[in-house]
Amino acid sequence: MATRMKLKLKTVFVLYFMVSLLGLVYALMQLGQRCDCTDHDLPKDRIISRLRGELHRLQEQMRKSEATKQPQKQPAKPSPPTIFVITPTYARLVQKAELTRLAQTFLHVAQLHWIVVEDSPHKTPLVSELLAKSGLAYTHLHMPTAKDRKLQEGDPSWLKPRGVEQRNEGLRWLREDRRAQPGGDNQQGVVYFADDDNTYSLQIFEEMRSTQRVSVWPVGLVGGMKYERPVVEAGKVVRFHTGWRPSRPFPMDMAGFAVSLKLVLANPEACFDGEAPMGFLESSFLQGLVTMDELEPKADNCSKVLVWHTRTEKPKMKREEALQAQGLGSDPAVEV
Amino acid sequence: MPKRRDIVAIVLIVLPWTLLITVWHQSTITPLLTARKDDRRDGHSNSRNTFAFKDSCSLQNRDIVEVVRTEYVYSRPPPWSDVLPTIHIITPTYSRPVQKAELTRLANTLLHVSNLHWILVEDSQRRTTLVSRLLQDTGLNYTHLNVETPRNYKVRGDTRDPRIPRGTIQRNLALRWLRETFSVNSSQPGIVYFADDDNTYSLELFEEMRSTKRVSVWPVAFVGGLRYESPKVNTLGKVYGWKTVFDPHRPFAIDMAGFAVNLRLILSKPQAYFKLRGVKGGYQESSLLKELVTLSDLEPKAANCTKVLVWHTRTEKPVLVNEGKKGFTDSNVEI
Repeated sequence: MATRMKLKLKTVFVLYFMVSLLGLVYALMQLGQRCDCTDHDLPKDRIISRLRGELHRLQEQMRKSEATKQPQKQPAKPSPPTIFVITPTYARLVQKAELTRLAQTFLHVAQLHWIVVEDSPHKTPLVSELLAKSGLAYTHLHMPTAKDRKLQEGDPSWLKPRGVEQRNEGLRWLREDRRAQPGGDNQQGVVYFADDDNTYSLQIFEEMRSTQRVSVWPVGLVGGMKYERPVVEAGKVVRFHTGWRPSRPFPMDMAGFAVSLKLVLANPEACFDGEAPMGFLESSFLQGLVTMDELEPKADNCSKVLVWHTRTEKPKMKREEALQAQGLGSDPAVEV
Repeated sequence: MPKRRDIVAIVLIVLPWTLLITVWHQSTITPLLTARKDDRRDGHSNSRNTFAFKDSCSLQNRDIVEVVRTEYVYSRPPPWSDVLPTIHIITPTYSRPVQKAELTRLANTLLHVSNLHWILVEDSQRRTTLVSRLLQDTGLNYTHLNVETPRNYKVRGDTRDPRIPRGTIQRNLALRWLRETFSVNSSQPGIVYFADDDNTYSLELFEEMRSTKRVSVWPVAFVGGLRYESPKVNTLGKVYGWKTVFDPHRPFAIDMAGFAVNLRLILSKPQAYFKLRGVKGGYQESSLLKELVTLSDLEPKAANCTKVLVWHTRTEKPVLVNEGKKGFTDSNVEI
């Protein structure tokens, strides 16, 4: 009886051992074919490999189109003149949103160099990161506004001129940068002052590219009117159509003109005068550069509106302020 | 002697099982056993391509997105991909001085997004030339619809009466159009997003929403009187509440710009629309979402709802005092 039991136990043990060994071997085989484990990720990987294929295809297309362009371009066709966009900006709640959508517009424009000048004693990480991720060619500068020139909380926006020091800093950098690189080609370019809350169509950049001295065009939603514009007769600007102080030398908005780089470099003293009376900021800059009959009208003889002086509402933060008073404000680490 | 034999026996019994258990911990094996039978052939053909991807998957994704962006800087709109799900953007719009500007800069944003279909619904009796021309000039893939809000529903002048949610009829028309155009059985994957024409959207947002399976959510800036409102996400990655001050007990205390819905879900629930009458302020989004999904089904995006990728900006109404009664400027010039 004992021996039979013993034998039974032994066979059981042996069987159990064999079964577990076989199971282990099977599992190890699965382990060995690790590559195929990615099958459960198949849809994702399929997408990735297909995207890769498309990417290769697009790169090939680009290379092919460049190759066919090259022989045609042999007669040294210069690249289009660079548009230098000078944007003063300052920290407030909507700053990141404004700069984001501005960058999205600029990404469509070829040969654009964005000069962002912060009203701040140092470069902020918000703007630095935004610019780095934007994919644009940019220069990041900063220039704080003097305290007595700065708008305080509750001041109406027209009380003091804004962005003066920043635009002048942008001009200064541009002049210095170009001086360091002498050569005819580097003088080609157009300078445009783009505020961060306006809206720009893509056509305006193509219109301004051909600026020889100073070009002008209509601006929408400014001066208390649907649009302000220069009045053009026989291809020349004869006067300005504006509802507010039309007697100014150049009664137009910052977004309504562009200056050729050559002119900016040839007049190193020309800059914005912060002491100028309200509305005369643009004139203080342009007076030293050009006369009215030298202005080049764009946008179909100044009959189309391609840029709008939009303004963004200040977001209502009453609840946020109430929470912060209780110490329960939203996480400041989350960048908005 | 027997003691040693016992020990040997125990070790021999336990060892294979421990090894087996550690291997079985890799949960990949069980679905593999079922999937292998069907995809075996595909698996092998792709194995060469996919082998390298397993480790650097995320890196590749980022690289691909980066490269594609700089590639299409000068060719717009971006090339259509056969692989990515289409994002259907529903934008209600109405005539006012800043309309063209708003639509222009929104179009400039949307032109960067691959596989985008813009459904623009005008609050008007007839499709206006301003919008038609704008849509044509952009080169985007679009559908232009229109439906006029009946007079008794319209917002009087500038007063924002929260009981009359703006754009509802237009959004519902777009939903109906989607249901009439696409059938539930079609394999075309799509995502539906309601984008108002004055908000600001980062490009990252559109890539986040592309992976929506049912309804995905994320934070929105400048709503509810806060810097941002966001869903509350627990450690398991599930939404369990809403971080808002304004009525956080709403079923879905989220802004229109804070969620996206998979097209299949929209098509499979043909009765789900935004409620028109009797909707309390802030409950419009809930009126649609509660027909589609429950709180636990929501998919949090934007790094578990910690990043702000969309801003509820509002554009100031321009001061047009100098126009006077008769209008100073030429009304033929479009702004």
